[in-house]
Amino acid sequence: MTRVRPLLVALSRDWLRNREAVFFAFLFPVILLLIFSAVFGGGTSEFTVYVQNNDVGADDDPTDLSATFVEALNGTGALSVRPLDSDRNVTAWSRGGGPSGSVRVLVVPDGFAEDVRAGSARARRSVILDTLNRTGTANRTAIQGAFDAADDANATASANATGAATVTFMAASDDEAAPAIRGVVESVVARFNERAVGIGEPPARVETTDLGDRTLEGADYYLPALIAAVVMINGLITLPTVVAQFGADGTLKRLVATPLRKRDWILANVVQQTGLALVITGVMVVVARLAFGVTVVPGPLSLALVALGAVAFTGLGMALGSLVENAEAATSLGMAVALPTMFVSGVFWELDLMPGFLQTVATVTPIYHFHRGLRQLMVLETTEGTALPFAVLGIGSVLSLALAVRVTKWEDF
Amino acid sequence: MAGESTDAVVTVRDLRREYGETVAVDGVSFEVRANEVFALVGPNGAGKTTTVEILECLRTPTGGSASVLGYDVTEDPRTIKERIGVVPQSFHTFDRLTVRENVRLTRQLYADGIGVEAALERLDLGAYADTRFAALSGGYQRRTGIAMALVSDPEVLFLDEPTTGLDPAARRTTWEQIERLTDLGTTVVLTTHYMEEVEQLADRAALLVDGETVAVDTVAGLVATYGGDVRLVVEATGDDAAVESALREVADEVYRDDAGDLVGLFEDRSAAQAAFGRLHGVGGDRAIELAGAGMEDVFLRLAGGTPDDRGELR
Repeated sequence: MTRVRPLLVALSRDWLRNREAVFFAFLFPVILLLIFSAVFGGGTSEFTVYVQNNDVGADDDPTDLSATFVEALNGTGALSVRPLDSDRNVTAWSRGGGPSGSVRVLVVPDGFAEDVRAGSARARRSVILDTLNRTGTANRTAIQGAFDAADDANATASANATGAATVTFMAASDDEAAPAIRGVVESVVARFNERAVGIGEPPARVETTDLGDRTLEGADYYLPALIAAVVMINGLITLPTVVAQFGADGTLKRLVATPLRKRDWILANVVQQTGLALVITGVMVVVARLAFGVTVVPGPLSLALVALGAVAFTGLGMALGSLVENAEAATSLGMAVALPTMFVSGVFWELDLMPGFLQTVATVTPIYHFHRGLRQLMVLETTEGTALPFAVLGIGSVLSLALAVRVTKWEDF
Repeated sequence: MAGESTDAVVTVRDLRREYGETVAVDGVSFEVRANEVFALVGPNGAGKTTTVEILECLRTPTGGSASVLGYDVTEDPRTIKERIGVVPQSFHTFDRLTVRENVRLTRQLYADGIGVEAALERLDLGAYADTRFAALSGGYQRRTGIAMALVSDPEVLFLDEPTTGLDPAARRTTWEQIERLTDLGTTVVLTTHYMEEVEQLADRAALLVDGETVAVDTVAGLVATYGGDVRLVVEATGDDAAVESALREVADEVYRDDAGDLVGLFEDRSAAQAAFGRLHGVGGDRAIELAGAGMEDVFLRLAGGTPDDRGELR
């Protein structure tokens, strides 16, 4: 054991002076954390919709009803409503000279308010008559007559009314967000109709309730995933490259010529990589806190799981580095194992987004259990469901270290 | 050179090492005595490195036996490793550590040894102590390797091709370092394909060809036994009758070489030296050179050629 400490110091110094290794261990995951958290977890997304309100009065101001409708659209929180001049040709504008990105336009036609009022009256009358028919009221004929007379009067007063008020939603056929935006618009129209016919409280409604005490932000999701990913990358890509390089250039042979034992060599690497994994965890937690306000503080169990993951991947990495004869081959082999594993394991996106068979594949990868366990412990602050990750990584550590001991050559290079 | 002792610190008997169908070492035998410089000489593929790596406990033999300091290489490798120093062929160490850090690491891997600064001083590495290994020239890298091997104060030092790839100046400096070691009483076993290196450094040598030992003796003994005749070369001037006649009287054989110069062959070096003085009187101002046999001649006779700079037989 007395030989492990100086070797550990030497390995750590050599590693810290290796720019590529430092980049992949520290900067790379921090960059990934910043990018993924910003892109996929930057709070509620709003879709931009341009509204061309052609329903204006004599003073060129929007009518009250059309203005109310546009305000209702804006109040959903899902849409960012921007006005579009009435005299603009929407089709020409969207094809050239319009804003960059997807263009969605909602056209409120001239006469919108009058059509709404007329449609509202028809709807109310229909409701009343339907109610009378169901209840068999004696004065039904008299009431019907009064409605008909009122219709005649309205027909004279609202000569311009065309029937049902219709707004037109325009979007490109390949706009993937268009169906969702159309759904939001339709829900606003439905609510608008309810109010127009005098329904204050609809008979059925949807209520939203949080599942937990806190909402998971993007950084919460990606922090444990990226910690697990970088521990795996270090173990399966960086470490095999370094070990293979030591073997190829004679550094390892020089060490073998000393009284150093094979177990000292493996132990020093395991301790160094484990310490490194814990330092990386600390760095990423600090970055997540500073950049995204994530308040996660890794507890002893989280750190134990990180350490266990580091041991498991270090053992595998040492085995890979010993099996190949040069650093380039070790890098390629490590990447061939690590990258597909990382992408199918749900590190960068939820498994629900992947086909069923890939979801099955993911569950047999150690990194899947690694980041799931970390998320339970670090983010959700529960030990529930962490027995399996501990078991997988514990057994993985034993097996990978046994493999490393078996394939690491200590004589007959 | 160090004085001889009869105490064997390395004993090799019928050593054999195979790699599948290939036999790299095929019955090598020799002894290395305490406080001597012993050279394993041979072209590439002769089995030098395999033999020395077995002695360094880096490889296992498939036959025969080998012991270092009385310990069997297969039974007590850790005891042997504690007491020897090694500079492997194509030596390399941690690129991003400084010379001092590399030497210190090696020192800390041994139970005993000398101080790090003492080792650096012994190899004149003080000015480069804080330079990273990767930034050193080939000569200083090799010197760092020797410092790392010395810092454990080894009883036997193994140097595998210590000057291969170095320029002539760096090679000569390395020789001086090795000569200094022998003054301190360290037994040195080196492998080389440079005959000049053997003549300069070694007390005794074993000549390996195709994995077999073809000769083991002192360097002088090898030259005397296998080096062939001493040559006396007399410059031709056109009026050579008198000097040729004088040469034929004393030499065992006389012929003209490619340049037309007269060459007299002598089995006995003292007879050649006597003839050298006499011919100077007869030959006047013409150049006369006494060319003694050397390890190159030994090699030529026993291996059928001499190794080039890369160790290939030519």
